[in-house]
Amino acid sequence: MVALVIALALFFDFTNGFHDTANAMATPIATGALRPRTAVAIAAILNLVGAFLSTAVATTISGGLINEGSNGVQITPTLIFAGLIGAVLWNLVTWVLGLPSSSSHALVGGLVGAAIVGAGFGAINIGNLLSKFVIPAVLAPITAGLVSFLATRIAYRLVKKRQREGFRYGQVFTSSLVSLAHGTNDAQKTMGVITLALIAGGFQGAGTGPQFWVILVCALAIALGTYSGGWRIIRTLGRGLTEIEPGQGFAAEAATSATILASSHLGFALSTTQVASGSVIGTGIGRKGASVRWRTAGRIAIGWVITIPAAAVVGAIAAWAALLGAAGVITDAVVATVVIVAIFLISRRSNVSARSLTIEPTQFVRPKRRKTSKKERGAA
Amino acid sequence: MTIEWGNFLIVLVASILAGCGTVILFALGLRFAGPDTRRLRPLGVVCFALCAALILYGVYLVIPFFHR
Repeated sequence: MVALVIALALFFDFTNGFHDTANAMATPIATGALRPRTAVAIAAILNLVGAFLSTAVATTISGGLINEGSNGVQITPTLIFAGLIGAVLWNLVTWVLGLPSSSSHALVGGLVGAAIVGAGFGAINIGNLLSKFVIPAVLAPITAGLVSFLATRIAYRLVKKRQREGFRYGQVFTSSLVSLAHGTNDAQKTMGVITLALIAGGFQGAGTGPQFWVILVCALAIALGTYSGGWRIIRTLGRGLTEIEPGQGFAAEAATSATILASSHLGFALSTTQVASGSVIGTGIGRKGASVRWRTAGRIAIGWVITIPAAAVVGAIAAWAALLGAAGVITDAVVATVVIVAIFLISRRSNVSARSLTIEPTQFVRPKRRKTSKKERGAA
Repeated sequence: MTIEWGNFLIVLVASILAGCGTVILFALGLRFAGPDTRRLRPLGVVCFALCAALILYGVYLVIPFFHR
């Protein structure tokens, strides 16, 4: 059981990586500041490094959302397993749809669903759900959007048109900072899950930190996921919401990194994904002549609203089956595998790859989105 | 349910200062380093340097090793 949890947790870490590449790298790819492959390689390395830099693993994986411990629900490896299924499947669904949604919300949602089945609704701390997840989810894009809006206005006021290309060089640094911050945060979640599973399974003493091999494999999984590139989400963030020029890209990334760092150091945690999306929208409003596609923004917002409930439903169903016994766990694993394979097969139908996102560095005007040619489709 | 509105306000102000600060410095750097302001070029370099310092401060904040 513990081995199954570890395998699934690592897969979640992988999906977390390719889901969140876009947060840092969508804008530099969209403006041509970095070639797609280079961008994801930089992001992967920084995620790998970041995972080693910080190992302050959260002691509660659910962030206080589930009443854990003696007077609440006992989180067993079985419940963690079911929660992870919910998180992984929801992450893959949003990826196929190209929606940037928070991986931490998916994880928390999955675990909440599993805990409800395991111990009833009393196990959930509704107050914490609101104050730690729902309200920050509203505030994150607004904050980042405001900062990004102001920054874009300033950038366009101060710099003349023909010098604005210079912002491209700055983008490399700001987006790298976002990547590094992501690495120090997100790999910890999986390390926390695996460590908790090891403790719950009796392989490790309670209250001890993650073992070295756990840190290593988590770092590798998230880096690999990042390198594989969530091209669909990169396309949505980089092009779907608004057209991004280098000046906007720099402003948006400065806003993203400032908001993330400020929030994580001043005690008001905001989701990286939501901050990054807010920044892109903010910069779209900030530049004269740019338009924001609110339909896409609306789709993303709907994705955020249903992330926790949807992952919870999947987690709950998986937990219900898993609690029936070994046969249930096996059924869970088989069904999850089938769904994962199916999602990958569906994703092959419309191929979004590094090549379709490449922008020539000298290109000033962005071309219309190239439809996949017949040859490419045949190869896929 | 407790929302730390005070904390949120601090985060908002800090984000605006840091985000816009980075952009102002980089933008001024680009402007001063342009071809028609040759005499102001050293000023542009100073702006770029300050901007780099701000980003390095971000790296410092990201890595817990330095401050905990």
